[in-house]
Amino acid sequence: MNEQFQEDWLDARLREEAPYIDDAGFTAQVVQKLPPRRASRNSFRGAILLGVTMLACVVTYFASDGGRFLISAVNTFAAMPLWMLYVVAIGCGMVATGVAAAAAYFQAREQTLG
Amino acid sequence: MPLTDADLVARVLVDDDHHAFAELVRNHQSAIRGLLRQLTRSDLALADDLAQETFLRAYKHIRSFRGEAKFSTWLYRIAYNCFREDARKRKELVGIDETLLESQPDPQSADPALKHDLMHALQLLPLHERSAILLCCQNGLSHDEAARVLEIPLGTVKTNVLRGREKLKKTLAAWGPA
Repeated sequence: MNEQFQEDWLDARLREEAPYIDDAGFTAQVVQKLPPRRASRNSFRGAILLGVTMLACVVTYFASDGGRFLISAVNTFAAMPLWMLYVVAIGCGMVATGVAAAAAYFQAREQTLG
Repeated sequence: MPLTDADLVARVLVDDDHHAFAELVRNHQSAIRGLLRQLTRSDLALADDLAQETFLRAYKHIRSFRGEAKFSTWLYRIAYNCFREDARKRKELVGIDETLLESQPDPQSADPALKHDLMHALQLLPLHERSAILLCCQNGLSHDEAARVLEIPLGTVKTNVLRGREKLKKTLAAWGPA
């Protein structure tokens, strides 16, 4: 019992003698010595996606004879009854939400797993 | 809600986020610097150099941290390795050093004389016992965690703690509880 008491006393004194050491610029010194940040992979990914999208737009424009398909699509929509336009709009919204939710899920998982 | 070590490590891994790493340094600098001060026998400049080296190594090798142990345990291990490598260079891996440095007086300490004697007693311990005592009794690591940090078998850690405690108790017998 006395043995245990002595050990507890000793451990308590040891913990007492380990006071909090003030940072005093230590963290700043360490951060200063870190190698420069590597280029963000996300911005590189974004640039690739943007480039591919723009290229696809240009190819489509020329392949469709100056974007004539857009005019015919607008005519088709204009000829649709109102309820069908609602259905198409809701469908597009659901697809976009699904894609965004999946992207958010995979991004969160990547961050969690590191 | 403050971010956990795991969150901060994830940010460093994914975005190479220096702010997140700075937060990790801020959270652990006191413990790491404290341990190194004790290991280097209160050589504050050397301890801070080694602490800096510890965090720079941690940043460089953060991909090898797999989250199996606590981040702090992983840091202690790097810090101990830094100390050991430096000590090897200085050929100071011996038990009792005759040229003990005086610990700096701490105005916050309740009893400076007790602190002095405790520090002195700690510094008299051989390195393997001192390290085990510092990790387990002062920094609250389990024997298992200390074994990982020191890279020695669990039984050896237990023995070192036991022997170290006995020596400290003997040296500090006059201060102990009645």
